[in-house]
Amino acid sequence: MAGFVWRLTRGRGAKQFSLAVCGVLAVVIAFLGKAEASIFDNARATLSDWTGPGLTELRAPLLAVEQWIDNIGTIFTVYRENIQLRQENAELHKWQNVALALENRMQRYELLLHAVPDPRLASITARIIGESNRPFIKTLILNAGTAQQVKKGEAVVDDRGLLGRIYVSGERTSWVILLTDMNSKVPVVIEPSHRRAILTGDNTPSPRLELDVGDGPIKAGDRVISTADGGLLPPDVSVGVVMGKGDDIRVALSARPDTADFVHVIDYHIPEPPPAIGPVAGTPAVGPAAARDATPPAAVAAIVAPKPTTQVNTAPLQSQNLTEPQFDGQNEEQDR
Amino acid sequence: MTSAVDMLERLLTHPLRFLSSALPVGLALLLVLLANLPVSFTGGVLPAPVLALAAVYFWVLVRPDLVPPFAVLMIGLMEDLLSGGPPGLWAAGFLAAYALTDRQRETFAGLAGAGALLGFAGAMLLAGATAYVLAMIIYVRFPPLPPLLLESVSTVLFYPLIAFPMGWVHRKIVGQMRGGE
Repeated sequence: MAGFVWRLTRGRGAKQFSLAVCGVLAVVIAFLGKAEASIFDNARATLSDWTGPGLTELRAPLLAVEQWIDNIGTIFTVYRENIQLRQENAELHKWQNVALALENRMQRYELLLHAVPDPRLASITARIIGESNRPFIKTLILNAGTAQQVKKGEAVVDDRGLLGRIYVSGERTSWVILLTDMNSKVPVVIEPSHRRAILTGDNTPSPRLELDVGDGPIKAGDRVISTADGGLLPPDVSVGVVMGKGDDIRVALSARPDTADFVHVIDYHIPEPPPAIGPVAGTPAVGPAAARDATPPAAVAAIVAPKPTTQVNTAPLQSQNLTEPQFDGQNEEQDR
Repeated sequence: MTSAVDMLERLLTHPLRFLSSALPVGLALLLVLLANLPVSFTGGVLPAPVLALAAVYFWVLVRPDLVPPFAVLMIGLMEDLLSGGPPGLWAAGFLAAYALTDRQRETFAGLAGAGALLGFAGAMLLAGATAYVLAMIIYVRFPPLPPLLLESVSTVLFYPLIAFPMGWVHRKIVGQMRGGE
């Protein structure tokens, strides 16, 4: 290596030597960035915190120019687009009524079944202040960071669907790795077959689906939604629709990072598992009759509530030396 | 250390001259910021160009003394960090383009019109190829090539838009200060 540098720099002066040193330094940084990503992630977060205000200021006039350029093209199609939008609006009104009716029905079913409601997801709305559509990375920079409780790994959605995940979070800015990026892999579910898959970005606009579990049929037009498998993303967020066939199944994404202005960062946590129902200190281990009098914790009660209410054979249970409160489901009022 | 003292001395004795000599690097850094704004003037058809490389290429041709290799490394690193990509890729690419341009400065500087555009295309190609090979080694797979080619085309198309204002800055500000030395 030293000989190579020497040959390269011999007779070409200090400038060539410093060029060679800088070249080696760049390569070392590239490998170091792979091995110790956190160092450069912190540097990136600090840099984006520092340049964030500048990006916001520079963006405003450029955005106006971009919109003006976009509008030139739409002047000639505005009448046709208007008619098309009216038709779509009427169609969407119909779907809205259907959705509201289904929502009401779902609420009634959940009430009847004592279903545990999905936790409400807290979210933060952030503005996109930077964008990188580059050969080796597809990212967005948001103007919210740890000061606004944005954390690494959180899902980012626009009004249409899932955009990506936070992968670096600075104090006032954060970075989003898009689903299309070649480093992105997220678990998804395909409906209606309910087949699970991994959505793998490859820097093309339509990421690839790597089928995982199940053997249900998949066809173009099937909906792809997020899943909470692995605790990475909130469930049931629209991702896109299936396109392509054969081995190369891809997803046309719902989200549009190129037109999004504001996005939502969703604070999703896997629900805490219920505490194990163990013997209560000071409570003698007795039979089912005494156990029915025990009061389980509220969270546990909510989970066990929808148990079947009939056809439970309690005879084998009575013969055991039970050390845990039992809920036999035969008398729900007492069980609670 | 000595150079830092020299720089401080120059800043104190000739502040305007010092600032004008810092303009090439400053403009390149500004272009890094500009290239990473969330706007696309091509409607998302072309990826954002590597505008800073155009600035580096221009200034290496006209005033190589104002663009030392370390400054190119810093510009490339800032491009890497602000674009969100792996650090070092564009830094190495910029340095490769710098080395080629500096070595063949007489040839490149003599090009005009479409020839100048082709000259820059050569430098862009080398920078892109260097970044691609490095990315291939780091990721242990072949990154998709079309986005890189599109970005190269986009950057080459933007070169005249960068070169004209840079030429103006060179003639009216940096060159004037040089004449006053």
